[in-house]
Amino acid sequence: MFRHQAGRIVAHLARLLGPAQIDLAEETVQEAMLRALQVWPHQGVPENAAAWLFRVAQNVAIDAIRHRRILGDKTEAIVRELTRSAVFVDSDPDLEEQLRDDELRMIFMCCHPGIARDASVALSLKTVGGFSVREIARAFLADEAAIAQRLVRAKRQIRDQGLTLEMPRGPELRRRLDSVLEVLYFLFNEGYAAHEGEELIRQDLCIEALRLGGLLAASSIAEPRVHALIALMALGAARLPARVDEAGDLILLDDQDRGRWDGQLIALGFHHFDQSMTGEEATEYHVQAAIAATHARAAAAQSTDWPLILKLYDQLVAINASPVVTLNRAVAVAKVRGAGEALESIDPLENDPKLRDYYLRLAVRGHLLMELGRRSEAAACFREALACPCSEPERRFLRRRLGECENGT
Amino acid sequence: MSTFMLLLYDNPANIAQFQKMSPEEMQKAVEKYMAWGKKPFMVDFKRLAEDTGKVMRGERGGKPRTTDGPFSETKEVLGGYYTIEAADYDEAVKRSLDHPHLEHGGTIEVRKVWGT
Repeated sequence: MFRHQAGRIVAHLARLLGPAQIDLAEETVQEAMLRALQVWPHQGVPENAAAWLFRVAQNVAIDAIRHRRILGDKTEAIVRELTRSAVFVDSDPDLEEQLRDDELRMIFMCCHPGIARDASVALSLKTVGGFSVREIARAFLADEAAIAQRLVRAKRQIRDQGLTLEMPRGPELRRRLDSVLEVLYFLFNEGYAAHEGEELIRQDLCIEALRLGGLLAASSIAEPRVHALIALMALGAARLPARVDEAGDLILLDDQDRGRWDGQLIALGFHHFDQSMTGEEATEYHVQAAIAATHARAAAAQSTDWPLILKLYDQLVAINASPVVTLNRAVAVAKVRGAGEALESIDPLENDPKLRDYYLRLAVRGHLLMELGRRSEAAACFREALACPCSEPERRFLRRRLGECENGT
Repeated sequence: MSTFMLLLYDNPANIAQFQKMSPEEMQKAVEKYMAWGKKPFMVDFKRLAEDTGKVMRGERGGKPRTTDGPFSETKEVLGGYYTIEAADYDEAVKRSLDHPHLEHGGTIEVRKVWGT
């Protein structure tokens, strides 16, 4: 509740105080939560806790702007505005709508192309997501100081470029929506990647990406590709509970207990998948959602419709012929046309500067060589993969595979 | 059973910690503080207002001198107190070990109430 509420209060205050005052909005929310910590244990949790936080934050903000005189002669007008929304906070459905709108404006500003991507991501999480610097650092396996630096840079870019919380219009809206979706997709993928120890915070990233997607989907700018992105994220997130075993070891899609997939997220995914089909456009998100949906429809790994998945990967290559897509496609090629052809399809990736030393390329290659019975070559691949940067669960997985090559099991 | 007072002191370091906490951590802290107030050995607890307070000093043969409190942001400040029941100091300390105030770097002074 606090995390979500913090995000909306910051967004709301930033709209009223101006985007140059995000810091003040954040301090204000922190202060309101601190008051809750001091007061609630004595007086009990107020009946409408969210409204309580909201009102306290507004009062703190009013005190701060009167005291610090940062807004000059606009102060009293803004105080009036703050007071007005504080009165209605319990009962007004329009305010609820306004708050959602404030959050959207904030996301759109955070994802302005004038702000560097990594800074956009950090700023979205901090302001709308209600994550702390420490949590963001943990989620990205980064240094707290580096994240703090990114946030400072993002806020400076907002001030220097005079970015506003106005929603863009026309073709600009379309472009901005694209960059918002890219940020959400990035958030989701970061959360989805397997890393040691911080499973919880990373799931929070996936959930937050889904929540922000839901906010877009419920607004007037919900385009089919928004639904497609939500579908692919929800269907992917549904598999998270089955992805690691009790020892924290990775379990491949084929071996997952599908009973542990999250039924609610699958239902949500299919709901948005249907809605993504309403338009003419077929974006990368659409195709990826279709691939995720094909997996979700298979009750058992053996009944997966691999020919369909391969066809979808071919479409994906046509839209975006990235080496990573080629690598993922190889798994489908192996299922449909055999490991030999799959191996050939990834040969060119060996010369790709980004993928040459990517553990997953080597792991896929090793896997295909194993299927072809070329054990010693497969073992060499897994050994090479182990020398690449990867997380501890991934490393354990590679070691296990290497052991299988060497033992001939 | 004796009665003990737990005097909770805040210091600049633990206040700074609170200011850096995320909403999620704040919520967890609120829940912990609330749960602690409901412990079975609890008699009473109060938080002190965050103003500077007043300090009165008696002067021998003269009028007491009253000044604003000594509280500054560079010192430990008494922030609140709990009254709990326990058999002896050992038990009082043991019962207070999991108080969230300690987790966040605060100090707790444990004092037995005379005659209890």
